[in-house]
Amino acid sequence: MQLKYLLILAIAGLYVLIAGSYKPTLPLHAQCKQILEYLQKQQRRLLVRVAKQGRIPQHVAFIMDGNRRYARKRHRIASSGHVSGFYRLANVLEWCNDLGIQNVSVFAFAINNFSRSPEEVSALMSLAKEKLRELADKSSLVKQHGVRIIIAGNRDLLPGDVREAAEFAEEKTQHNRGMRLNICFPYSATDEISAAIRKVTEDVRKGVLSENDIDEQAIESRLQIPGPPLDILVRTSGQIRFSNYMLWQSAKLAYIRFVDVFWPDFSFFHMFCILISWQLAYKSIKQRS
Amino acid sequence: MTVLAVCLSLVALAAVAHVGSSRGKQSIKEQLLNGICTIALRLVQLAFAIHCSFQAWVQDSLSQAQIDMQQLLEGDDTDMVLTKRQELSDLLASLPQKPEHLAVVLPEASVRENEAIGDMLAGETDDVEALCAWSLLAKIPRLSIYSRDGSLSRSFDSIAGRLRNSKMVARGFNGRTPDICLESSTRSEHICAHSDSASRPDIYISLWSRENGYPLLAKLAQRLSRRVQAGELASTAITESLVADELRDPHGFKHPDLVLLLDDLPCVNEFPPWQLQNSELVQIHSGARSLGDAVYRALVCFAKIEMRWGK
Repeated sequence: MQLKYLLILAIAGLYVLIAGSYKPTLPLHAQCKQILEYLQKQQRRLLVRVAKQGRIPQHVAFIMDGNRRYARKRHRIASSGHVSGFYRLANVLEWCNDLGIQNVSVFAFAINNFSRSPEEVSALMSLAKEKLRELADKSSLVKQHGVRIIIAGNRDLLPGDVREAAEFAEEKTQHNRGMRLNICFPYSATDEISAAIRKVTEDVRKGVLSENDIDEQAIESRLQIPGPPLDILVRTSGQIRFSNYMLWQSAKLAYIRFVDVFWPDFSFFHMFCILISWQLAYKSIKQRS
Repeated sequence: MTVLAVCLSLVALAAVAHVGSSRGKQSIKEQLLNGICTIALRLVQLAFAIHCSFQAWVQDSLSQAQIDMQQLLEGDDTDMVLTKRQELSDLLASLPQKPEHLAVVLPEASVRENEAIGDMLAGETDDVEALCAWSLLAKIPRLSIYSRDGSLSRSFDSIAGRLRNSKMVARGFNGRTPDICLESSTRSEHICAHSDSASRPDIYISLWSRENGYPLLAKLAQRLSRRVQAGELASTAITESLVADELRDPHGFKHPDLVLLLDDLPCVNEFPPWQLQNSELVQIHSGARSLGDAVYRALVCFAKIEMRWGK
């Protein structure tokens, strides 16, 4: 009995101590949320430190799938799922930056996504226009960590205003020397490979490249995402296909993980688990390459 | 006291683990912290490895309760086996969706020797025979078998000879001998049940290697470049549809819908990249008892998949 009262007093005391160091005017749930966020941040810092004692991949790609199903599950419209997906992307970029991953590629919009409803495509284009500018102009990742943004894909298919936002994001960050972020928008791997083959033939015609020098390396260097070699490909939402994303790069011994959560639910713990399993498999991958 | 001793030894170990390799500028506190994190990482990796082994053991134990798939096609035709085979054939026929083109990624010889996946597989010729039989049982008309090092192409004659006289393949085709079109990048052979070689084969089997992927795309680039140089083609006319036409399946099938990866490592081992565009990838680990079991699991997995094609 006495122990029970002592325990209650201790918890109350601890609460007063912690609450005292935060803003006391906030409601209780906001204070608890702050404490939880602080603890989560410390936990993440510790896990990042632990993970960095082992090998870190140079290039990780994400297929950000499941935004619409995430929204449907919460009885919301599809575009709100895409907004949640963008915020999750911002978190994931932060985690990758903390882990020291130098190259991140994300599949933002596929060329065959234009076959979706005009309202959804229009909402996605507006979101892209707004967020590209926001990312390039205001995000701490770009300002403090020097992230460089590159838009990979067939820009001729984009509306004029979105193309301008893409070019703005690239120009604004072109001198940055930090993490390289490839945003695939709108993209398909078969379009990328065809464009690379076309560039090879053009370079041969111009005399830049000789016909005898056409090999895999010549095509690879002309891809929209030429390198470094892809180490890990992650697809969320439980789907187990490539969906025409980075086929050339993924087929070259990339470690493929299909994760059964929607993209907005993808957490640092999932990222940590993928990283640890890649570290364990690294020796086998190297032996085969 | 014991706990204290363990903690002190851990700290000392952490210090030794990291101090030796660290740069002089890091403080001792940083070095100790990094050392402890290194030990934590090794413990986490150990926990992961144990977890993966445990999962594989559970899967293996569960699969032991099921019927022996391999016996259905390898064993003698007893009444029970015939009944089970018919039941399985009906079950596969009733799946809501099946692949039209199945591709199987087999591990190379060095991986078979050194890794657990080798226990599930027999020799390459036996594996091709089993895959052919299972594809016929599941009524999959197109089968591509990939091995990175090209060893399947080198065993073309022995594979053709085996398929010609195979009881297992006949059992998969309901007791009849099927017409098989077997090809590699340099050879093609029509293994006929009847004298009429003009009839459409019951199954097309391709033996692929790395040569069917990246080098093929490079050769295509060379060919197109020659045409551009000769003025037959404008470089702007090299579009995705032109390249797709050049790389389409010679027998009119789609690119693989289902790729079965028989490996503990989730990598496609330089499988032809263009052919992966719409493929579902199912990885079967060394926990599967046989190839039949692996194919069955992959087909069941494929049957549950939702196809949305970007919509």
